[in-house]
Amino acid sequence: MSRIRYRRLVAVALVAGIGLTSAACSSSDKKDDNGGSKASSSSAGTPLDPKTKVTISVDCMPPTTKKPERKQWLDDIAEFHKTYPNVTINSKDTFPCEDTDKFTAQLQGSSETDVFYSYVTDLNQVLDAGQAADITAYVNDKTVPNLKDIDPNVLAILKDDGKLYGLPTTNYSMGLVYNRKIFKDAGLDPDKPPTTWDEIRTDSKVIQDKLGSKGIHGFFEYGAGNQGGWHLTSALYGAGNNVVSEDGTKAAFNGPEATSILQTIHDMRWVDNSMPASAGKEWGESQKAMGAGQIGMYLAAPDDIQLMVQQYGANFNDLGMAPIPGGKTSLMGGNDYFFKKSDSPDQIKAGIAWINFKFLTLKKGQFNYARNKTDGIPVGLPQPFFFTGQSKATDTADKTQYATVPVQNYKSYVDAQVPVKGEPPNAQKLYTVLDTVMSGVLSNKGADIGKLLSSAETQANQLLAAGQ
Amino acid sequence: MAEFTPANRTLISSATLARPRGKVIYWTVLSVVLVVFTLVFVGPLYWMATSGFKSVHEVLHNPPTLVPKDPQPSNYKTAWTQLKLAKLLWNTFYYAFGALAFQLVFDVAAAYALSKLRPVLGNIVLGGMLATLMIPSAVLIIPQYMTVLDLPLLHVNLINHPWAIWLPTVANGFNIFLLKRFFDSIPNDLMAAAAIDGAGPMRTLLSIVLPMSRPILGVVSIFAVVNVWKDFLWPMLVEPDPSKQPINIGINSLSQGVPQNVLIAALAISALPTLLIFLLFQRNIMSGLTAGSLKG
Amino acid sequence: MAATTVPDKTTRRHAGRAAGPRTQGGRGGLSRKLSQNLQAYGFLIGAILCFGFFSWYPMVREFIMSFQQTRRGVTSWVGFKNIKTVYHDPYFWTAWKNTGMFTLYALVIGFVVPFFVAILLNELRHARAYLRILVYLPVMLPPVAGALLFKYFYNPEYGLFNRILKIFHLPTSQWLDSSHTALISVVVAATWMSMGSATLIYLAALQNIPGELYEAADLDGAGLWSKIWHVTVPQTRLVLSLMLLLQIVATMQEFTNVFLMAGGNGPENSTMTVVYMVYQYGYRYNNFGGAAALGLFLLLVLAGFSGLYARLNRNAD
Repeated sequence: MSRIRYRRLVAVALVAGIGLTSAACSSSDKKDDNGGSKASSSSAGTPLDPKTKVTISVDCMPPTTKKPERKQWLDDIAEFHKTYPNVTINSKDTFPCEDTDKFTAQLQGSSETDVFYSYVTDLNQVLDAGQAADITAYVNDKTVPNLKDIDPNVLAILKDDGKLYGLPTTNYSMGLVYNRKIFKDAGLDPDKPPTTWDEIRTDSKVIQDKLGSKGIHGFFEYGAGNQGGWHLTSALYGAGNNVVSEDGTKAAFNGPEATSILQTIHDMRWVDNSMPASAGKEWGESQKAMGAGQIGMYLAAPDDIQLMVQQYGANFNDLGMAPIPGGKTSLMGGNDYFFKKSDSPDQIKAGIAWINFKFLTLKKGQFNYARNKTDGIPVGLPQPFFFTGQSKATDTADKTQYATVPVQNYKSYVDAQVPVKGEPPNAQKLYTVLDTVMSGVLSNKGADIGKLLSSAETQANQLLAAGQ
Repeated sequence: MAEFTPANRTLISSATLARPRGKVIYWTVLSVVLVVFTLVFVGPLYWMATSGFKSVHEVLHNPPTLVPKDPQPSNYKTAWTQLKLAKLLWNTFYYAFGALAFQLVFDVAAAYALSKLRPVLGNIVLGGMLATLMIPSAVLIIPQYMTVLDLPLLHVNLINHPWAIWLPTVANGFNIFLLKRFFDSIPNDLMAAAAIDGAGPMRTLLSIVLPMSRPILGVVSIFAVVNVWKDFLWPMLVEPDPSKQPINIGINSLSQGVPQNVLIAALAISALPTLLIFLLFQRNIMSGLTAGSLKG
Repeated sequence: MAATTVPDKTTRRHAGRAAGPRTQGGRGGLSRKLSQNLQAYGFLIGAILCFGFFSWYPMVREFIMSFQQTRRGVTSWVGFKNIKTVYHDPYFWTAWKNTGMFTLYALVIGFVVPFFVAILLNELRHARAYLRILVYLPVMLPPVAGALLFKYFYNPEYGLFNRILKIFHLPTSQWLDSSHTALISVVVAATWMSMGSATLIYLAALQNIPGELYEAADLDGAGLWSKIWHVTVPQTRLVLSLMLLLQIVATMQEFTNVFLMAGGNGPENSTMTVVYMVYQYGYRYNNFGGAAALGLFLLLVLAGFSGLYARLNRNAD
């Protein structure tokens, strides 16, 4: 807690500080405007001069398999060009946008794009590799007009030692996605999703008993690809636990809550047989199975619903979202763009202008709900939620106006208002370690949960110590 | 069919096989082998080709079906366009034949120098090269990777460049070993005769040594191409750009984003070029491989 | 160069170098020697640079990196910290055990099976070319095709293998999804993919065994096994021992198949080989010093192993 509170303080101080510097800059800009563009292009706080000729490469362009998103991306670049005709954006499509191993390799090789996508948990690693540019001086309410409404907690994750390195593009809080149709078919009430691990187990068994003959399973869990560790962390947050100590130097996941959650998953898999026999190894397996109507529920972020409908044949009306079991705290994660250290000031400015246009401007880019509606991209999912104040109000109003998804299906998730909690430091490393615990429970009937947890604890402590 | 005489007979003599009991056993074994081997080695390939035609639901259906119920050739088209297989295959060939060219030029020249020109300290150089045989490439993957990121002295970053695949393949102790052994067996009279005619080392290499070395060059070439074709970890690390990846890496990284049936169709397409090349040239490839490996 | 070079033909070792001085001698010979050496190194330079950059230097670098770490772009010496970290990793010994088991399985399955397949094929008088092509077909697949195909077959829910077992009323398996069977499942698939080349090499070796030896064994009344053991195996010993070394070195550095089929470390780290652990330290944990230290361990073990092999081979000869 103290760490988070400290971070929040830093964030507040920073926001104040940025406000001051930007005020200083803008006053000096006014003088420069008469003198010519030379000085204004050299001062970091001003928006990009549309006359500046600059080329930036940006990754995470939607792949050809995601047609409407890809089309919107290209349309947005065209629209962006109207304001900034001299900015050339070289988009690179990658799917998934980040693979942790390749991300490391890219950082080591400095082969990332000028403006590069990452998970918000990656800041530490990016800084260790010496690859992120400090954009503190570039970000203010002139370059990012909605800055004051971005949740300081979200920005704090992208800061280190008071310096800002990235801009958020989306964030999520974990919950339980479930198939309402399967619930109905199994005789369960789709408006009363399970809220504890015991209820999950009971419902999962009902689904298995009623529908198992059709190849439908009650629950799905991951055991590899960092997905297992991410889910276990989410489950522990749900129980109000933490996975590392407050100062971030020691593992803190080995406790009765972890044992009991893992025991429940183990029993679902081996006693009730209400989970598929294969432990999910790759990101996408749960979505594919849920999309094909083969599983009743699994832990997820809301954007999975969109993915399942668009890519894997699911139907919006069938999918519901409930709060994370336990409901104490919910893991908040998200994505952002960093700026490569070697970028020129104009490249950073152009990058900020693009990110601002595509991801942080209401009624534009990702928030152009009217267009999303025509293009068949769902509107009304409870994500992202990094805006506060006036921006949040506008966003909510827009969303309601153009909603295409059955919003009432996510009511219990939205109403629960579970307090969010950011991912642990060195998250991806911890997830790898915790994967082994999950895979042990999922793949070994005689798994020794105590031993799995204590081995993982030793390993995690070493990794955290080695990282100091 | 080869003739079986006592001199080239095998474990079981022709006489034993000629007996009635021997005949029965032989034909039974032969038919069992034919059936089992066909199932084991062609069966999976059949399953790959046909599963590529199945629908999303059928491909994940239990029990699996022997023949696609409602064949969807469009899966192959989707795989070809969405996974950009043409690009991936082209990259693979580009890397493989580039590596081949570099190895033929540098390794042949080096082995020739070590075998015939024998410079001062040549044996130490040879020893250093052969010592790398003891150290498999995967062990050095981390420092090698760091080297490619920032080549010492030159300070060049080879990531995402074909050099990162081509140049390290030259550092192949096995090639040097094979080639030098072969060159050693070329009589020095021939070299001396060429020298009398006033031929320099380069001309001797081109007009005398290389024409005699066709078999070993064939073997080295096959190994060179196959090694790049089969390599996985190294190209995954040094070619992170999706548009520059060889087929193994490209398909694997895109495998998460496409349905299973499209993935299997992509696998089938990826297997096709080499299978075709093999079936067309199988006689040359197989005789080349066995001849070379025995000499080595 | 004149006829004076002729005597050198017998002492091949000095042919190139000795050719000059006989004809010229003195200072001219020296400069000639120098230019010959320069010429020779001209031929060598490409290979020497490649070996230098990508083999010799990385060996030194591995050693250096094992004692360094990089934080915030700054590299510093950390003594034995990396080595201690990897050594105390709870899965350090697991990785070695898995690598050892992998090698063992690969020897039992990947070494013995092709040998007996070769013996069998060598006895058949019909369809020889067809069978050879069959065995070699999988070798031509790109590894990604073979590995992902087998991963599909191994799926416990809808995979082909469990279906076949069910048809014959045999107990089904979890294959890649159980820590007990994952490793062996990978080995079986890897053997399918690669046994063709070993089989062809053994076949060639078998064909070089003089038939008279079998003839003599028949006259002694030797049975089938006795003939294999006393004639076939000794006669192919050289090829067998070379293949054994290649197989062991290849399996000790296994990565591709475990990565593609079992996601690298497999259920409960049951397929985590040492090379995968090196990869994990580097690219997952972003700890390249630790990865280098682990590589150093592997380097020492393999060097020791190769040395042992060379020594045994010398004694045997």
